[in-house]
Amino acid sequence: MSIQEIRVCIKPGLPDARGEEVLAEVRSALPIATLEQVRTAKVYRFEGISPEEAGTLAENLLAESVFQTYTVNQPIITDADWLIEVAYKPGVMNPEAASLVKAAGDLGLNTLTAADSSWEYAFYGRLSTNELDLITRRLLVNDTVQHIVTRPPETLVISGESNPTRIIPIREMDDGELLALSKDRLFLSLEEMRLIQQYFRDTGRDPTDCEIEILAQTWSEHCVHKTFKARVVVNGVEKKPFLKRLQEATEQINHPLVLSAFVDNSGVMDFYDGWAVCGKVETHNSPSAIEPYGGAATGSGGVFRDVMGTGQGAKVIASTDMFCFGPPDLPWEDIPPGCLHPRYLLRRVVAGVRDYGNRMGIPTNNGSLHFHRDFRAKPTVIVGSYGLLPRDKATKGEPREGDLIIAIGGRTGRDGIHGATFSSAAMTERTISVNAQAVQIGHPIEEKRMHDVILMARDEGLIQAITDCGAGGFASAVGEMGADIGALIALDRVPLKYSGLAPWEILLSESQERMVVAVAPQHEREFIDLCTRYNVEATVLGTFTGDGRFRAMFDGRKVMDLGMDFLHDGLPQRVMPARWEPKAQAEPPSAVVDDWMGMFSGVLGHLNVCSKEPIVRVYDHGVQGSNALPPFNGVDGDAPNDSAVLTPLLGKPYGMVIGHGLNPVLNRIDPYWGTLWAATEAVSNLVAVGANPDEIMLIDNFIWPVPDEEMMGALDRAVDACTDFSVRMGMPFISGKDSLSSTYRTSDGQVIQIPPVVCVSAFGRIADVRRTVSSDFKGAGTRLLLLGQRDLAGMGGSTFYDLLGYLGQRSPQVDLDVLRRVFAALYRQIQAGRVLSCHDISEGGLGAALAEMSFGGAVGAKIAIPSDVLPEQFLFNETPGCFVLEVDSALRGDDLFPEVPWLELGQTTPRPVLNAVSGGRELFNIALADLKQSWQKPMNGVFGE
Amino acid sequence: MKPRVCILRTDGTNCDQEAAYAFEKCGAVTELVHVNQLRDRDVKLQDFQIMVIPGGFSYGDDVHSGKVLAVELISLFREELSDFVSRNKLVLGICNGFQVLVRTGLLPDADPGKIKVTLMDNDSGRFECRWVNMRVQKSPCVFTEGMEGATVSYQAAHGEGKFFAEPDVLKDLEARGLVVLRYVDRFGSETMSYPQNPNGSLNAIAGLCDPSGRIFGLMPHPERYVDHTQHPLWRRKNGADPDGLFVFKNAVRYAANI
Repeated sequence: MSIQEIRVCIKPGLPDARGEEVLAEVRSALPIATLEQVRTAKVYRFEGISPEEAGTLAENLLAESVFQTYTVNQPIITDADWLIEVAYKPGVMNPEAASLVKAAGDLGLNTLTAADSSWEYAFYGRLSTNELDLITRRLLVNDTVQHIVTRPPETLVISGESNPTRIIPIREMDDGELLALSKDRLFLSLEEMRLIQQYFRDTGRDPTDCEIEILAQTWSEHCVHKTFKARVVVNGVEKKPFLKRLQEATEQINHPLVLSAFVDNSGVMDFYDGWAVCGKVETHNSPSAIEPYGGAATGSGGVFRDVMGTGQGAKVIASTDMFCFGPPDLPWEDIPPGCLHPRYLLRRVVAGVRDYGNRMGIPTNNGSLHFHRDFRAKPTVIVGSYGLLPRDKATKGEPREGDLIIAIGGRTGRDGIHGATFSSAAMTERTISVNAQAVQIGHPIEEKRMHDVILMARDEGLIQAITDCGAGGFASAVGEMGADIGALIALDRVPLKYSGLAPWEILLSESQERMVVAVAPQHEREFIDLCTRYNVEATVLGTFTGDGRFRAMFDGRKVMDLGMDFLHDGLPQRVMPARWEPKAQAEPPSAVVDDWMGMFSGVLGHLNVCSKEPIVRVYDHGVQGSNALPPFNGVDGDAPNDSAVLTPLLGKPYGMVIGHGLNPVLNRIDPYWGTLWAATEAVSNLVAVGANPDEIMLIDNFIWPVPDEEMMGALDRAVDACTDFSVRMGMPFISGKDSLSSTYRTSDGQVIQIPPVVCVSAFGRIADVRRTVSSDFKGAGTRLLLLGQRDLAGMGGSTFYDLLGYLGQRSPQVDLDVLRRVFAALYRQIQAGRVLSCHDISEGGLGAALAEMSFGGAVGAKIAIPSDVLPEQFLFNETPGCFVLEVDSALRGDDLFPEVPWLELGQTTPRPVLNAVSGGRELFNIALADLKQSWQKPMNGVFGE
Repeated sequence: MKPRVCILRTDGTNCDQEAAYAFEKCGAVTELVHVNQLRDRDVKLQDFQIMVIPGGFSYGDDVHSGKVLAVELISLFREELSDFVSRNKLVLGICNGFQVLVRTGLLPDADPGKIKVTLMDNDSGRFECRWVNMRVQKSPCVFTEGMEGATVSYQAAHGEGKFFAEPDVLKDLEARGLVVLRYVDRFGSETMSYPQNPNGSLNAIAGLCDPSGRIFGLMPHPERYVDHTQHPLWRRKNGADPDGLFVFKNAVRYAANI
């Protein structure tokens, strides 16, 4: 059957936004000056219909004559200098294809068998073939998932013969053969391979490929967290495993609001009126490094499913994103081979998070962005998700013997095979080509359908237990759900995107938008009917058995039969040595700042301080109508707030507060104080807006280089900081994740260790959102206070030092006892309605906080710097847990904060300038407009104004 | 009797619950109805006085925003829709719902299948979420009755919201007074400048009704501002009625008499 091609483009003379964006990108990112115009055309291909029917589709679906024209089986743009068509590679799911088939069906064209779409780019201007190649490779095509169409496809139907299940003769292998089997595919150590060999020697048979693959997947660092469960020997002294320390801290705190900690897909906290809220934060670094759009999108999709799969199902109510990249203006020659440019990564990661969250209807209203040269080899992409669920459905469900195993959602393809094992491996130059299968494009509408149906099934009482298919696919989802009782599944029942998958591929596939539900047999019909009514495919794969084994069949033959105990507990606990010695870092020579204007602008324009508003604007942060404190507000809508305040129950005053903290560069100096900074910053962000410090939960994310002794030592300190903070503040960690693969090796042996990152996320509740504050100054002539204890000598890792070209020896330290009292005092005064505005001091110090508050209120500020401190320390020190407060001029610091450290700063002024006086001398008098321009410039440069 | 509101959803709809909340707050009874329930005849459009197509990404906004749902409605429910509007009932399309209404032809002339105007990619080339000010125009629109001349503030959140029509069509819409809302700058003047006009809409058009005033579509989201704390600057405001409320109050008042 021949293929009908329809091309649609915007009428000449009307704006072609897509084309204009490509043109702007070329002009800003590439050294090409001769490109004059870019036009685009959408190309649709249909199989199974006649040319006349293609015309019907064009008229009624594809082209709108008000602003578009179309052709059938003819070129549409004929006058361009160059024409390039970019399409998804065959086998990469194009999310639009299903909509095309559906709409064609609604129009009565029922013979259609397959559809696809792609884009044509028409370039006008004198371009060499080299320049064209540069544009295509750097901006238009990511060859992990896309290709340039040079010849129209002969068919759109993908098919293939599946390989039979193979037997791996592992029992006879020597060590060299075991390692060869593991390399690039299983990513297991020789010791682990020997254990598997021994298991099958004992069993008296060789394993199938299914069995080998599921063991590699289940034992991967990504899934089993070998390092976090290992016994650790630090400088010769044995300490408890990291995970155990975190969990024991939570048990010790015994917080009354914790409903579920570390056991479910997210951590759950009690909310109000019979409701609970939950949170989960994940990383998706490896996929995002090689296909940033799909990697980030599916990262969001995965963490949403974690929330959806909490208890008996939760509604996703918020999304957060925390990214670390190399500087967007890094010269091309500094990009390691096999890596993508940070500017491209940043733009595409943002686009991925945008499209998944927006389409799912989940507000992305908290996040941050950090830049450091050493992220050039691999970015850190952290995505969080928060949910709402009834309190009586908030406990993790356990499948019972006889419950059905039902797969719901998207179909299974070859996508993401080896994602779990791959993300546990260090990245190399070969990663991009060898592991390309590990990345895919997401389909948020599929997930949204599933989300809605899960909530309905939950409310009907049809769900016994639920979990998402993430890394490791069905192997992991069914394997974990049935770990205690056993499971039997028929892999040939799994609905496939296309034929040709081997049983092990079906078992391990990481196709997105799939979940597994345990349903009692008597609810089977009702559950499946409900799914079907809302366009969600649901298939019974098997049952939970009670025999303690994980068995899989294919076409009536047994392809897997493993003991759940060997699968989950066969891996011996590791003993890992760790060593920590403080590193000597240079301090800058003490220098007097003479150009205050230049220094202030430099701090505000620093990548880690500058405004991130252009990113927030592309996220629908207002959907669900729940925003009581948006990411940006103020009179011009451009001043940042410290955390998000949501009212997830519309019409009720109950608030959920969400924030986070991280500062990777501080971990280079000392991971203990760097981590304490992150935790303090996370909670300060919450308390700054009015959260109750007694009702806060924490989530940890450790993103670390592959741990050698030194990195284990660093990790040990980071974990200790977490538990010290948690226990002493009474704030439990209830969910967490580690990702220990931030290392990059080039072919010539060069190693780039990505800076270790600890991200602490925090969420809490507050009884009435009307008792919260924003950061924008509310008037002129009001009083400004600085609250909290600052460690002024701790300038290491600050933006100020970075501008001087130094890291520094000593990062800011926090006294947790003082911090506790500061949080309590601030909460009390915000509750009492005495705080007009409040902003937490973080990167950029007091100077940046004052500037941002002034931007928000469109008023200036005049401050006096105490004569006994260095002005540059006073203005740019980044000790966390300190706040700038605006209060009525009639209120005095002594009365408000009798028991905690505070300082009188000055007052707000009607004139929009920042003015500082030190020792009777005016240090500077800077127009806010100039500062704002410096502060907004970097991201406007990346994302356009 | 409380009017009954059909909140029509499909795969990718995501502003349905806040739309339902806004109507309930103003005294209506709402039901979230999936288009499959209409297809299966489980639910009949005739049983409602108001139909709302809320915001979101129906079918992923594949091909064009709102297009696949518009094709579905026109192909399968043309008569029901004609019947519904001919009985003086109300139709409201917000954001993606507005896109669906223009792509079904329900706007501007309640003429199913006849597409006269469109909503294109924003001039900025990207999805954007920001609060915008609009001036309520003199029009037959039932939903904005009594608000002529007022300036209102809603959140806009879309990537395809540039209102476009051929010059003669545009002139005709203006002559018939069908423009309900226009983007204005901080001085209250109709504006073509970004970002006050967030998408480059011709004549700064943000919302449109049919000649009867009973079919209304707009890009920004009135349902996101029916509670005081939903506005980003509520901490600076006094307790005036949230700007979105009148849309739903008017609709409920009108529908109670159908």
